[in-house]
Amino acid sequence: MSKRIGLAKKEARKGFGISSIYLIYAAIFWGYPFVWLFILLFSKWRFVGSPQFVGFRNITRVLTDPLFWKTVTNVFRFMMYYIPLVLIGALLFAIALNKIKFGKTFVALSFLVANVSSGVAYSIMFSNLFSVNGPVNKALNSLFGITIPWFTSPQWAMFSIALIVIWKFIGYYGLILYAGLTAIPKSLYEAAELDGAGSLTKFFRITLPLLNPSIIMVLVLAITLAFGIFTEPYMITGGGPMRSTLTPMMHMITTAFQRMDPTYAATMAVFVAIISFGMIWVIRKTMEREVDLV
Amino acid sequence: MTNKKIQSGNVILHIVMFFLSLIWLYPYAWLFLASVKPSAEIYTRFLPTRFTLEHFRFILESAERMNRPFIRAFFISLFVSVTVTVCVIITSAIISFALSKYRFKARDGIFNFIIFQMVFPGFMFTIPLYILMRNMHLLNSLAALIVPFIMSGWGIFMMTQSFRGTPNDYIEAAKMDGASDMFIIFRIMLPLNNSVMAIVGLFTFIGVWDNFMWPLIVIQDYYKMPLSVLLASFNHEYGAYIGPVMAGSVIQTLPMVLIFIIFRKAFLQGISMSLK
Repeated sequence: MSKRIGLAKKEARKGFGISSIYLIYAAIFWGYPFVWLFILLFSKWRFVGSPQFVGFRNITRVLTDPLFWKTVTNVFRFMMYYIPLVLIGALLFAIALNKIKFGKTFVALSFLVANVSSGVAYSIMFSNLFSVNGPVNKALNSLFGITIPWFTSPQWAMFSIALIVIWKFIGYYGLILYAGLTAIPKSLYEAAELDGAGSLTKFFRITLPLLNPSIIMVLVLAITLAFGIFTEPYMITGGGPMRSTLTPMMHMITTAFQRMDPTYAATMAVFVAIISFGMIWVIRKTMEREVDLV
Repeated sequence: MTNKKIQSGNVILHIVMFFLSLIWLYPYAWLFLASVKPSAEIYTRFLPTRFTLEHFRFILESAERMNRPFIRAFFISLFVSVTVTVCVIITSAIISFALSKYRFKARDGIFNFIIFQMVFPGFMFTIPLYILMRNMHLLNSLAALIVPFIMSGWGIFMMTQSFRGTPNDYIEAAKMDGASDMFIIFRIMLPLNNSVMAIVGLFTFIGVWDNFMWPLIVIQDYYKMPLSVLLASFNHEYGAYIGPVMAGSVIQTLPMVLIFIIFRKAFLQGISMSLK
């Protein structure tokens, strides 16, 4: 009996001992930066000397900085194009994939391979494909007689960036929705058919409601991506033309490492995180439904 | 009659989806062909009139003269990605074993803490982490690309979830035979959970190989840059050399695509697993 208690004690000590490796690691690479984040939030510092406490000055500065809010609006403009298009596209892709019998793997993999493209390389690739006299414009010109200033006009640039991000992520989101689709029991559709439901009714009464968790998941992923977007605008437009594609991440990096103002940059990062949390919270609150699949 | 209608509709759906698949593959095909055709044909023709490796040669040879050591950057990227991936798999396996198979008081607390950590977006920590690297005097060194990432909360989370499903009988039996903990973790638990290992490894490797913002901030020296940053700086200054830029993009893309094709099953599983 006492031997057993001794063993349990030994096991507990060992278990905690091993797990504490992670705790130490987290204390250094997560806890320490977290503390620094708070210091930066309330001080003035330019990488040298010791930070000086300035109270809420950074925060009021962010609130009244038109450039910061411009970058936030840019993210919302990006989401305005990106989220509806990618969500509808991914949904159609998932439904089509569910109906396809031949070459399913080929279709799924061709869409997914876009997702493993390297951020830098695919930005270079698309900036050439969509350049003013690139192949896409050549094709458009010979077919319809038009050329589109994809990345060079302030009206088009953000839309074009949304397009290439859609290219990259439609397969990924589509597969998440597809996994949700295959989990819906066939018997539900059969029962609905017996009751004389058409395909539209089936889609809006069965598919969409039961897909809710997957759709929310895709929305959360898409919002998180939108607020962290950096590589594409950095590589392709550099934030231009007329700052129409300047994102909070680009603004943060230039503020911290070119204007040498890390305290202000860190404050912006916190604001961006809060805004993205807020949006996810609103989405969850308004759209999430409990789904019970038996 | 309706049956026929459904069938013809299905045929059309197949054709449309195959056509769309080709459109989705087109940028890759264009990129690859652009890297092996003469510069004059990059914008004018899809299929090259002759096959050439001059752009790759340019990148490998004269890039050295332009202070852009591509081969070196390729191996730096490979080294960093492999090191981080191996470290993440080893540390995740050991810690997940403790979190799933040992009973101790703080266990659930630690697991919940890991989930709590995953809620915070990485960009919040970019600048404080940079300050930490500076204080540790690791800026402008490969350690700055490796050390902060050798453990992953997400990796531990995934593996713990999977390890919990492995029956304790296997472990008890191995212990009877006098197996050490390390033996149990690496010879029993990991092989039994090889799909989650593949998922954690694959996503970690791709994440590190593709990472751009962090190395851009912490590495200034051309001779220490990973491929993503070096390619970006080459494109920035010598963007007019379209052929070589395309060749560089191919080199940067190829390992990810190859790994994706090899581990496509794990990748598909990973996406459906991330739902849970």
